[in-house]
Amino acid sequence: MRIFNRIVVILLLAGLVYLGIATVVYVFELGPYQLSDLPNALGFSGLYEGLNSYVTSIESGNLGVEDVVILVAIALLGLVLLIFELKPPTPRRVRMQQGTYITRRAVESKVSPVVEQEPEVLQSNVKVKAQRKPGARVDVSASVRSGEDARSVQSEVQNRVQQHLAEVGIPVSNLKVQVAESDPRHTKTRVK
Amino acid sequence: MDNDLQLARAVSEAALTTEGVYSLGTGRYAEAATYGPGEKVIGVVVGPDEVRVHIVVRYPLSESIPALAERVRERAALSAGGRATMVVVEDLEVVRDENL
Repeated sequence: MRIFNRIVVILLLAGLVYLGIATVVYVFELGPYQLSDLPNALGFSGLYEGLNSYVTSIESGNLGVEDVVILVAIALLGLVLLIFELKPPTPRRVRMQQGTYITRRAVESKVSPVVEQEPEVLQSNVKVKAQRKPGARVDVSASVRSGEDARSVQSEVQNRVQQHLAEVGIPVSNLKVQVAESDPRHTKTRVK
Repeated sequence: MDNDLQLARAVSEAALTTEGVYSLGTGRYAEAATYGPGEKVIGVVVGPDEVRVHIVVRYPLSESIPALAERVRERAALSAGGRATMVVVEDLEVVRDENL
């Protein structure tokens, strides 16, 4: 949502800069530009007319299917944006107890070596997400050679990670392990 | 401002003297520090209502990370002048056993 807000503000400010420059050029009548031509140059006249006729047709109850679809879409978009705006942001750090936190990077640095200790795992990718409740959400994806027993590797990795994180005391609320077959020529480690 | 610096120094010392703490963290995207005229205390952020301490934990651990963080929080809270204290474990530093 922060990125969306930034994009909206950037577009708004870019529009204001354009409007400001155009106004200065037209106010001082630089070159062929005349102030009276400004609304036409900016394309506001057509916009006014279009908007005016649209609102008039809505007020008089002459709604076509397209109008209804547009209005419903606007309402839904507003609702979705409102929900995203009201939703509290996801915390950046993993909560352990009241007042104690651990960074996601620190959790990742503890999980990655444990996953790669597994002999069948050629490469791993660990993503840690913080949640509002205590504990991290850990998503592990591991690459193995084709022909390996993915299910047993998955359960082995899951047990190892769970055990290690329990030993160091990092709370985990959700641990997901995905094992995929990969070509060893494209993985970090070819042979173990 | 000077009070904030003094408080940050006291909290920093309390955290660093806790067994199991390797060093204070520096923050990742923004520097975690308290600033004063000509001086800054890295690893402690003193806010109006809250003091945040960033630590790097010594590994292997002598106790669990939450227990160590809680111990640092308790020690730092004594120097925090009644403000809420928060501890962030920023990293783990693997330290070789000197006896090996």
